[in-house]
Amino acid sequence: MDASFWLLQFLNAMQYSMLLFLLSIGLTVIFGLMHFVNLAHASLYMLGAYFGISVSALTGQFWLAFILSPIIVTLIGAILYYTLIDRMRAAGPMNQVLVTFGLIFVILDLVRLGWGDIALGLDAPDALAHTVSFWGISYPAYRLFIIALGLTIMISMWVVLARTQIGAMIRASVENADMAASLGIHVGRLFFVVFCFGCALAGLAGVAAAPIFSATTTMGITILIPTLIVVVIGGLGSLEGAIAGSLIIGFLETFGAVLLPSLSAVLTYILLAVILVLRPQGLIPARG
Amino acid sequence: MFYQTRLRTITLILALGFLAVYASFGSYFAREIVIEITILAILAISLDFCAGFGGMVSLCHGAIMGISAYAFSIMSVKLGLPSVPSAMIGLMAAVVFSGLVGWVTARTSGIFFIMATLAFGQMAYTFFFKSRWLGGDDGMGGIDRFNLSWLGVDMNDALVFALFGVAVLLLVYVIAAILLRSGFGRILSGIHSNENRMQAVGINTANHKAMAMAASGLMAGIAGILAAQHTLYISPELLIWTVSGEVLLVVILGGIGTLIGPVVGAIMLVMLKHELSNYTDYWHMVVGMVLIFAVLAGGRGIFGQIEYWLITRHSPKTPHLPPAKEKDLA
Repeated sequence: MDASFWLLQFLNAMQYSMLLFLLSIGLTVIFGLMHFVNLAHASLYMLGAYFGISVSALTGQFWLAFILSPIIVTLIGAILYYTLIDRMRAAGPMNQVLVTFGLIFVILDLVRLGWGDIALGLDAPDALAHTVSFWGISYPAYRLFIIALGLTIMISMWVVLARTQIGAMIRASVENADMAASLGIHVGRLFFVVFCFGCALAGLAGVAAAPIFSATTTMGITILIPTLIVVVIGGLGSLEGAIAGSLIIGFLETFGAVLLPSLSAVLTYILLAVILVLRPQGLIPARG
Repeated sequence: MFYQTRLRTITLILALGFLAVYASFGSYFAREIVIEITILAILAISLDFCAGFGGMVSLCHGAIMGISAYAFSIMSVKLGLPSVPSAMIGLMAAVVFSGLVGWVTARTSGIFFIMATLAFGQMAYTFFFKSRWLGGDDGMGGIDRFNLSWLGVDMNDALVFALFGVAVLLLVYVIAAILLRSGFGRILSGIHSNENRMQAVGINTANHKAMAMAASGLMAGIAGILAAQHTLYISPELLIWTVSGEVLLVVILGGIGTLIGPVVGAIMLVMLKHELSNYTDYWHMVVGMVLIFAVLAGGRGIFGQIEYWLITRHSPKTPHLPPAKEKDLA
């Protein structure tokens, strides 16, 4: 276990954390803002991967798929918003869990109908298909790109939320939606924009993950649990919470798997249990 | 508050009668369906007990069932214990696990409770999935059914086992009904309606919630023993969170908080599944749409809606059943 081993594992953990971040930030902000539990969020991630593969296969352009796929997923999200999600907002968490659980089933079978049960792969774009050597290790360039992408989105979201007017509107609405509405913020429209943005990030995560993990019909259900854990550990509704949560889970799972293989499977859940008992509101909740 | 109304008793007799007749006069396949229904119905009653009456919408009931099935199989296959003591240990494991989950999560509510139970269920799933000693994702076989030859019956006969399942289902229903009608059940309903008020009256609500989860775990454990003896083989698939989601679906489909509704829901879902899988490989989609529709239609479920109609017909102004919406969970 020399320095290059640690560096390699560090990069693996970063790459996994960034994917978790892209998924959990949408989920947590939608929850914080709208009090809506969208279990189908991870199904949108799966759709992002499949649409990315299709667009790429049709046009031969990876970067076109990289842009179009999140847009398609956003459109699907917008349709879901107006047909189901908007009217379930006041229905309580149990009904929301049930409806989105039903949605998982529906989307799963639609994907099976459209793309079949076979795992599909997507090649990384030519520009990123090589490995990069530095500090005694060689690492796939595409994975470094994922890390850079995640960090870029993380920083730009922080800037938007902390430094711009729309960020202030979102923070105010998370804090107290009624009060924000009475100050003239169109909370309903804000909800819709944030929901669509969350869907776009889920789609982006899907198409970004497709070259690393191949697209399967179970990929949504598999990533959902770690994403939910990130959201609960970090604290619902906060960007800082999602960052902290995805880094903690990403590093815990990656390093747990190499350092404590016998314990690694349950480490995350033990951490979750400890957090739920000692700090049920999460590490960095949106509301103090 | 739980009332064993005449409508519920009649529905129970009709449902159990239907299952017994369907098993007796049906083919081998029909008997397999009946035992599948009874397992799902027992699990759904167990979930309705804590979700419908205690407000604890658990997403780890599949895991509780699986833990009981695994503990039973470890005792009987790996350690060679007779099946009855093994089953007792299996039930104890389920009670301890669900009691612990209830105790840890007693101070959480709403979505936090749902997510916490989801995570604990997945923890158990991952544990068995990774355990090489227990066969990992291949599961383990070599399980025996109860030996009831002293009664002159052979449990390996599909009809006998199906009827045994129906009898166990009746037993679980009676246990749940008695518990809900006891002082304990009334306190549980009280906690569901207003936890703060129950605390103000001097009730230790956290303890009661943990005990309710443990009692629910006992029933889920019974389903687990039955499931292990049904297929004579168990795998981590029993514990995966979508199993718990499907049980919740059954409870909602039949009618949450009615106790008999889940039995109706289990019959409907298993029948629907088998009918659909004759025509299409994509029955999950239909089930998902049924679930979405059931929630959008008011969330009372099939039995709950019928009961509501009958009651409002007799006294149109004051229906004395509470609406099915979960206002207190938010």
